[in-house]
Amino acid sequence: MDNLLEKLPAYVERLKAIKETIITNIVLIGQKPSPTFKEKARIKAFMERLSEFQVDECTTDGYRNPIGIIRGQSPTKPPIFLIAHLDSLFDKDIDHNYVVKKSTITGAGIMDNAIGVGVLVSLPEIFRHLELEFESDIVLAGVIQSMGKGNLRGIRHLLKTWATPIRGAICIEGGFLGRLSYYSQGMIRGEIECNLAHRTSWDRKFKPNAILILNEVINQILELRLPQKPRARIVIGKIGGGFKHGLIANNATLGFEIQSDSDQMVKTIYNDTKDIITGVGHEYGVDMKLKTISNASAARLKYNHPLVKGSAEIMKKLGLNPTSEPSVSELSIFLSRQIPAVTIGITTGDNIQQEDAVMEIEPMFTGIAQLVGIVEAIDSGICDEERMA
Amino acid sequence: MKNAWLKTNTFHYREFDDLSALVAAKARKKVTISLCLPTLNEEKTIAKEILIMKSELMSRYPLLDEIVVIDSGSTDKTREIAAAYGADVFEAAHILPHLEPHKGKGENLWKALYITKGDIIVYLDADIKNIHHRFAYALIGPLLLHDHIKYAKAFYDRPIATGKSKMRPTGGGRVTELVIRPLFSLFFPELTQIIQPLSGEYAGYRELYEKIPFPIGYGVETSMIMDIYEKWGLNVIAQVDLDRRIHRNQDTKALGKMAFVILKTFINRKKKLGLIDLKEKLFDEMIQYNLVHDSYQPDITRLEAVERPPMIEIPEYREKYHMSRN
Repeated sequence: MDNLLEKLPAYVERLKAIKETIITNIVLIGQKPSPTFKEKARIKAFMERLSEFQVDECTTDGYRNPIGIIRGQSPTKPPIFLIAHLDSLFDKDIDHNYVVKKSTITGAGIMDNAIGVGVLVSLPEIFRHLELEFESDIVLAGVIQSMGKGNLRGIRHLLKTWATPIRGAICIEGGFLGRLSYYSQGMIRGEIECNLAHRTSWDRKFKPNAILILNEVINQILELRLPQKPRARIVIGKIGGGFKHGLIANNATLGFEIQSDSDQMVKTIYNDTKDIITGVGHEYGVDMKLKTISNASAARLKYNHPLVKGSAEIMKKLGLNPTSEPSVSELSIFLSRQIPAVTIGITTGDNIQQEDAVMEIEPMFTGIAQLVGIVEAIDSGICDEERMA
Repeated sequence: MKNAWLKTNTFHYREFDDLSALVAAKARKKVTISLCLPTLNEEKTIAKEILIMKSELMSRYPLLDEIVVIDSGSTDKTREIAAAYGADVFEAAHILPHLEPHKGKGENLWKALYITKGDIIVYLDADIKNIHHRFAYALIGPLLLHDHIKYAKAFYDRPIATGKSKMRPTGGGRVTELVIRPLFSLFFPELTQIIQPLSGEYAGYRELYEKIPFPIGYGVETSMIMDIYEKWGLNVIAQVDLDRRIHRNQDTKALGKMAFVILKTFINRKKKLGLIDLKEKLFDEMIQYNLVHDSYQPDITRLEAVERPPMIEIPEYREKYHMSRN
């Protein structure tokens, strides 16, 4: 590990020599719109770039997750997985053409997750440039249908159908540099729909208002007593409804997410929420629907797991201050399958999930050096002694 | 009208995406290739053009030998950004400074002939939002792989960015369809086979460019096609489908000025070739009207049809390229 740590600061400078290629990959892939369930154009760009960089194998799995494999030197060592989700929040009618300036790149989806994907496809060139070879096969996977209603389907399928053991994994996200996620929270993301459109008999008087009904649901959710341990919370994240200012709202939707360190607690709160919705629906005489959008299980590596400790050391050597935060993304699927994994961020930026998201170019080289360092650490056997705690 | 040329000289960019083959053809022909980007306040797009071309066509495949930016005096950070990404940046006014200065895209292209070193010069507009290296390699391809082709021009779909980050799937090309195509249909039907005569992306051999005059402004594309057609025939020209080009939208008044210059260039060319006889001189002012406080006010723009002579006639150029006066 000491030898590895010593090399890292030099990587940052050496990576700048292939700055144009890395940014080109980020731009060419990120400019392909890739809303969840419609990732085809980005899959194609991902495959094209990987084939141009001459990875040993380039294919898609049965679920259309594009995958490149850099063959390792040892036939007996299990592969290391490096993944980035391909889908983004933005529809294809949004302008995805990025603006590159001297120190920043601006555009829809740049931080989440054009950088992650662009860096992922640049890795064959990055490894060549740094003259690195590995014992393990390196599997570069762009996973589809991760976000929102995608419910991590791409990564779930990939891992379910992968036949051999996996040595370790890194999930690559654009932001933020310094992030070190090694545990995932239990989570259920749900949507409550209140739709009164068909109840025309109310039109004359006392017609209920869908927004006010959801307001009542929110009030009752807020009255739920949530425990300190296991930690739990309900995030009311989205609300929408109505047609115009002067009309009583016929419809409204509420998006929420229940998060906890305990899967059981998530289920309990979810059932409580369900009861609230049934009760409010009954009280107001309206039909309300509760849909589960996605869910994830709570799982974790301990902080003293060698992968976490090693990653933190690598980050510190590069002058970063590792910050732990829970993840509700691909990491949870690796961890729930007992595969040691972490999620890291590549650079700093702003407006992360807005159309005018901005990434900083310069810190990206430190972010990539950290990624390369963690790959080398896994390849040197950091995860081999101790599987998941 | 025959349309044989359309069939034989029209290509798709995918026909040239084997970059190793292009690099090998370049070595066989022993030619050098320059990319020139004329700019005026293009800080939003210039970096992307330079870095993609540099990464793909210089570092990974040595197809381009240099990237040169010729700037018309940008007031934003175009020059600074271009230099930061490794392009050779020049201000047009500082090139051949003893000549009377003019501002315009054509001026930049003409002066690029003096600055660049390549046997082939690729000109790309610097405002392409969806730039991809195919914009350069697909124009170079016909010149390297087909000996009779000396000049290749782009055509594409033209969705336009309509502001607020929304894209409109079709549009653009209005000046082509309302001005150039009717003119070509009336006077040079053969040239109507060129699908987008006004496209700002083309590649050609220096030996052609240096022998034709360059209007300093918008008329440069029109005159270039007419001059090449007149001197060497249509068969030296190719056109390449680049799929899609996204650019910023221009308002109707701006397009009106563009149309004015193009019409003037066209008529002057016809006159020069002895094909028409004008009884009186054309005016130099484009007059448009604005409604200001309930009254119509003229908005007059002076648009002179200034033209640079063939570069080969410039002594400094001949000296630089060791050419004799004959």
